[in-house]
Amino acid sequence: MTAWRIVLAVPAVAALAYAASRLADVPSDQWASVLKWLIGGVVLHDGVLAPVVVVLGLIASRWLPAPWRAPAVVGLIWWGSVSLLAIPVLTGNGVDPPNETLQHRPYVASWWIGMAATVALVLAAGWVRRFRSMRPGSPSLGERSR
Amino acid sequence: MSRIPRVEDFSHRLRAPQLTGRVGLWLGITLTITFLTGVWSHFQQDTPGWLSIPTSPYWLYRVTQGLHVISGTAAVPLLLVKLWSVFPRLFIRPPLRPSRAAVLHLLERGSIALLMASVIFQLATGLANSAQWYPWEFGFRPLHYAVAWVFIGALLIHVAVKLPVIREALGAPVDRDEPERPSGGLTRRGLLSVTWGAAGIAALATAGSTVSWLREVSIFGVRSGAGVQGVAINRTAEQAHIAPVDESWRLEVTYDGDSRLFSLDELRAMPQASHDLPIACVEGWSSSGTWTGVSLADLMAAVGAPTDSRIFAVSMQQGGAWRTSELPGHFVEDRRTLLALGLNGEPLHLDHGYPCRIIAPNRPGVLQTKWVQRLEVYA
Repeated sequence: MTAWRIVLAVPAVAALAYAASRLADVPSDQWASVLKWLIGGVVLHDGVLAPVVVVLGLIASRWLPAPWRAPAVVGLIWWGSVSLLAIPVLTGNGVDPPNETLQHRPYVASWWIGMAATVALVLAAGWVRRFRSMRPGSPSLGERSR
Repeated sequence: MSRIPRVEDFSHRLRAPQLTGRVGLWLGITLTITFLTGVWSHFQQDTPGWLSIPTSPYWLYRVTQGLHVISGTAAVPLLLVKLWSVFPRLFIRPPLRPSRAAVLHLLERGSIALLMASVIFQLATGLANSAQWYPWEFGFRPLHYAVAWVFIGALLIHVAVKLPVIREALGAPVDRDEPERPSGGLTRRGLLSVTWGAAGIAALATAGSTVSWLREVSIFGVRSGAGVQGVAINRTAEQAHIAPVDESWRLEVTYDGDSRLFSLDELRAMPQASHDLPIACVEGWSSSGTWTGVSLADLMAAVGAPTDSRIFAVSMQQGGAWRTSELPGHFVEDRRTLLALGLNGEPLHLDHGYPCRIIAPNRPGVLQTKWVQRLEVYA
């Protein structure tokens, strides 16, 4: 274990030292922006995104009928993460003057279609699960477990 | 209710080291691919003296940079699930008394903060850059490069610190000690499958920028690879402030104190070669075309220079970071390296660099200089 840790730690320290030497070349008037982006990502995740997901989970466990819970989680992970990484194209920033070969798809329309499809699929999956659970002999999905 | 949550406040039904370890393993793999292909791009753009970039395979830059953006994009859902699975640990109370444990705790927290900050920084700036959106006041290339090294260092430290946990977690079945599933919920195994699915969807939704058969699927792809004459454009003539040239235009080739001028007709009268080569960008997009023009090796012969001369290409652009590029001798010698005059059977469109541009195998797109005005030849 210790040997492996040394094998990992030596290049790690070398990489960080090299990174520091590169960062030392960054002009001082850019530092505020660099720090804003380095710290901002962590703050946005830990302070906004993660708490929102926790609250959504609490709401779902309280209000969402059991058959729809797993489909809703799947919908959130799939469509939520894709939406997040599509922010640059969804906000339409970055093209000036317009270059026809860059960002030339109907992103916002696609997003709404995808959103509608996600909601429809979550609803449908929940109905199927509910229907199945009502058949005799199937495990009940009807009650909330604590 | 109005207190800081504690670790025990969070459900531990799905959260478990076995889950975190598996998602973390694939997150580590995708991000390491992104790191390696990113460093490779840096080498291709600013080649260090000890390295010689080969001209073959001609698709090397295209594939590595496509992979760079695809694996970085697929890492986004993996990162989100990974961070969700360990989120309660944010609320571990640090030991307050000064002790060895307190120092170790602080170091571990610090390495995780560094890792998280660098990963989110890299993914956010990388995704924005691929859309050519720069909502910051620093140079993208130097910072994306420097923070990549912060990331790889912090990742290695994180793995070293967590080694016993990782071993134990990956050696155990993912559903070990998993509490009874409440009605309607996911299992850990189910959550893992959904996570792999999310990474796949993220890749499919964007990969069409470089994988041509995915063009119709990639609804969030920044480009489709399509464009004037069938090839995408990074910078149009208008963006580069290039005006169309007239008959009086001449290409200047300087060698050994002499300067030769070539008109477009003279260049067209020379032996013409055609090659299928991609324009490939570090932003993860690429598109291929059939380029026709004069092999640079032939042009070297025409001015009496060795065919493996080093060439410094200067564009008509008045400014911009990529106004010039340098071709090493073995690129000039490779007969696929063209001073292209045509694309897909037509004279080069102004946006593709009319009257002539450099096109070489295995080159970053920004080094395929357009609107060439002068070639400085050095034997």
